[in-house]
Amino acid sequence: MSTPLNSDPRIDQAAVTDESLQSAHDVLLGKQPDEKARYKLLPLNLLFLFSGLIFLAGTYLNRYAGHFDPHIYNENSIPVKGGAVAAVVVDPVVAGKKLFNNAACNTCHMVNGVGQPGAIPPLVGSDWVTGSEERIIRIVLHGLQGPITVNGANYNSAMPPFGRVAGSGFNWSDDKIASVVTYVRQEWGNQAPPVTTAKVTEIRTKDGDRKPWTVDELQKLP
Amino acid sequence: MTNDSTHAATAEVTAIDTQARVPLTLLLAAGLIWLVISGVLGVITSIQLHTPGFLADCSFLTAGRAQAMRETSFLYGWIANTGLAVVLWVLGRLGGSPLRALNWTVAGTIFWNLGLAVGLVGIGLGDMTSFASFQLPRYVGVLMLFAYAAIALPGVLAWSGRRSHGLFASHWYGVAALFLFPWLFSAAQLVLLWSPMRGTLQAVAGGWYTQSLWSLWLAPLALTGAYYIVPKVAGRLMPSYDFAPLGFWTLIFIGGWTGGRHLVGGPVPAWIPTMAVVACTMMLFHYILVGLNLRIASQAGGTAIKFIRFGLVAYVLTGTLDALTSFRVIAVETQFTFMATALEQLGVYAGISMMLFGALYYMLPRLTGRPWASAALTTGHRVLVSFGVVLLVATLAVAGWTQGSDLLDSKLALGEIFNRLRVPLMVGTAAQIALVAANLLLVVNFFRSACVCCATSTPSETPFRQPSALEAHAS
Amino acid sequence: MKNGFIFLLGLFTAIALSWAGIVLGTHAQLGALTPYYDDTEGKSFPERTTGIAASGQLVYADLGCAACHTQQVRRPDYGSDQARGWGERQSVARDYIHQSLPQLGASRLGPDLANLAGRKPSAPDAEDLLKLLYAGSLTHPPYKFLFEQKSIVGESSARALRLTGNLAPAPGHEVVPSDRALALVGYLLSLNTAYDYPESLPATPPAAGHAPDTKQEAKK
Repeated sequence: MSTPLNSDPRIDQAAVTDESLQSAHDVLLGKQPDEKARYKLLPLNLLFLFSGLIFLAGTYLNRYAGHFDPHIYNENSIPVKGGAVAAVVVDPVVAGKKLFNNAACNTCHMVNGVGQPGAIPPLVGSDWVTGSEERIIRIVLHGLQGPITVNGANYNSAMPPFGRVAGSGFNWSDDKIASVVTYVRQEWGNQAPPVTTAKVTEIRTKDGDRKPWTVDELQKLP
Repeated sequence: MTNDSTHAATAEVTAIDTQARVPLTLLLAAGLIWLVISGVLGVITSIQLHTPGFLADCSFLTAGRAQAMRETSFLYGWIANTGLAVVLWVLGRLGGSPLRALNWTVAGTIFWNLGLAVGLVGIGLGDMTSFASFQLPRYVGVLMLFAYAAIALPGVLAWSGRRSHGLFASHWYGVAALFLFPWLFSAAQLVLLWSPMRGTLQAVAGGWYTQSLWSLWLAPLALTGAYYIVPKVAGRLMPSYDFAPLGFWTLIFIGGWTGGRHLVGGPVPAWIPTMAVVACTMMLFHYILVGLNLRIASQAGGTAIKFIRFGLVAYVLTGTLDALTSFRVIAVETQFTFMATALEQLGVYAGISMMLFGALYYMLPRLTGRPWASAALTTGHRVLVSFGVVLLVATLAVAGWTQGSDLLDSKLALGEIFNRLRVPLMVGTAAQIALVAANLLLVVNFFRSACVCCATSTPSETPFRQPSALEAHAS
Repeated sequence: MKNGFIFLLGLFTAIALSWAGIVLGTHAQLGALTPYYDDTEGKSFPERTTGIAASGQLVYADLGCAACHTQQVRRPDYGSDQARGWGERQSVARDYIHQSLPQLGASRLGPDLANLAGRKPSAPDAEDLLKLLYAGSLTHPPYKFLFEQKSIVGESSARALRLTGNLAPAPGHEVVPSDRALALVGYLLSLNTAYDYPESLPATPPAAGHAPDTKQEAKK
């Protein structure tokens, strides 16, 4: 075939007619009789290339689609069976801090846990907080009434019941009680072991509904 | 080479062209005007990138609005008008009979461009939708759809009433472009503007539209012309043409799935960007096959082929880089940077627009029956626009790569990153100015050529050589 | 591809498939996403946006702020978003459910704004933002058209910007932000991703330093 010169930049000459362009290419697609049997399979190198691409794409899709889960944002993770948010681990200190600062606690004990002189005892460095978990859980569950001595200073006020017990305005679950108690035992330099939800449940089922504790009653406990 | 004397209709310019002269020239002229407008807006936005205070007091041209207007006038002004003219003309030529219902095209052209102008003013006044490549305000949507249908009607008629039974590659791409855009546009209107989806789903739907617009409309518009003109001028069969259908259907079926392309690491489920990575990889089929089919462009000459060859190289390069940068390892570097802009310009300017320039150069002499008015302007435009687009894409890519690695270094403050971008961005402004200058040459040449035909009667001697028949087993 | 009808059908199938997969698929997955009720705080997140924030988002959109700012934080080990102080965690779809026009953005010529009001140690306040909008900076354009310069009649307006140096208005005049500027700033100050949703936490939980017995939320 001779290539048209097309030396004039102002005009492009066509080499072939529209009809022949279409009919000749139709032959290649096998739409018209192909006398010389010019069909050929996909050239081998293309075949290899395409197979490689398909394999790569398939592997990538399988590996990084997070099982098409709507709550998976990191392509390296896969959803946990039995619910989209099942594996979320909640740190009780984080949850406890929210509870402490969100509800009634911080209004009396203050955000930094120092309390108010003469009325509200401090939580920082208090034996009541870092000492026996039996006592502090009961105080938060059922409340406390009457005078109390903390770190040598006297306080007298009423702590309302927070647990899921009669007369409580808060009805916090054992979970929440455990979180907030763990928080105050580990914040502001306090270093006491955390309390478990199971322990709270145990105490609540044992004591049931009752009026707020007094210091004398609590001191009889371990 | 055989001289085909059996066909009476082998004359290169026939009633198909002369009938279409006025409507298609109108479309082309509209396209060129928008090209210049978007070029000027491009200069403004590129200055704003390195000198933020430029025109900032003018609320009509805040960086965001100017950018949206530039993009909209480029896509829906330049590419839409020119691409539709090319598709209509090619479908008419392949159909073998003059285009019918061209009055509809004239009316459609007027309303489409009217709607676009209203839409751009709307964007300037603050009515942009804030979805990339879908910035036209809601109130022009319906008008644009009807105008589009009117413009496209002769193309559909030419296709359904064609003489030959087979379908040529340009048929597939042309009909796909004509047929798919209304679906695309109205589907996006529905879920983004009329009954908006919730939260980040809008970003997903917006991404689907942007990517589908590229693969189901912009690319087919340009490839319609390329698949027709390249073998026509080269006078050869396209190699590996039997795989051309595979290339076509890959583009059409896979294209939309690249929708999550720019949402890597974003607030959408991980499978959406993953799916986009996979789809971008599979799209390589298409780019490879287009490259294989049209590689005969390297064996032909002339203005049109030179443009199309440039466009094809850029087009295949776009696809390859798109696939590469979609992978998360690379995306972490290129995401949110000028690299995305560089790739976009590589696609729509160096790829699509250059192919459309080529088609325009091939087409206009056949519509007017005369060569282009000036050889110097033709060559000047080609050299200057090639230079400008290479410079633009290269500086944006350099800026993007620097910006990407700087952003990863958290000790580097944003102000410092910005300072380091200034020089490449200033060179980018120079490139934008070169592009406007180049396109002004084209506009002058175009109106001189088109008006010569209006002023005088049909030329006495046809400048076209008689084409011959393509030998079926030539390659 | 001789048969035109089948050809058109093929085209339609192609677009319908990707539409169904990408758009309808995510809609089915996330279209009914609800706020997350936090038992310990006793309220739902994300919190409802205020009226001024909702209208400010429209101002943000129509000015095209998204051309230079993103509002999406990527997870800590992907990119430098966390190290730059733009947010402590990955942005998730739930963050945006109350937004009528989420502005995710695609370019970071400016900083990410998803957690602008929750930045630590110091988030900007309204005055910082208004001054930046009025005066601009080396990297930010000034948007003076969002402000009104007028002569002081009687008492000066409580809203007036306190400007010094060469920015200060002529004596007897004051610069007052327009309603649009105030809405925009109200919106910017509502951008906050401080709350951690279950799905936004890192894929591998950090070693629980405080408590040895971590409990699973599923138990509740």
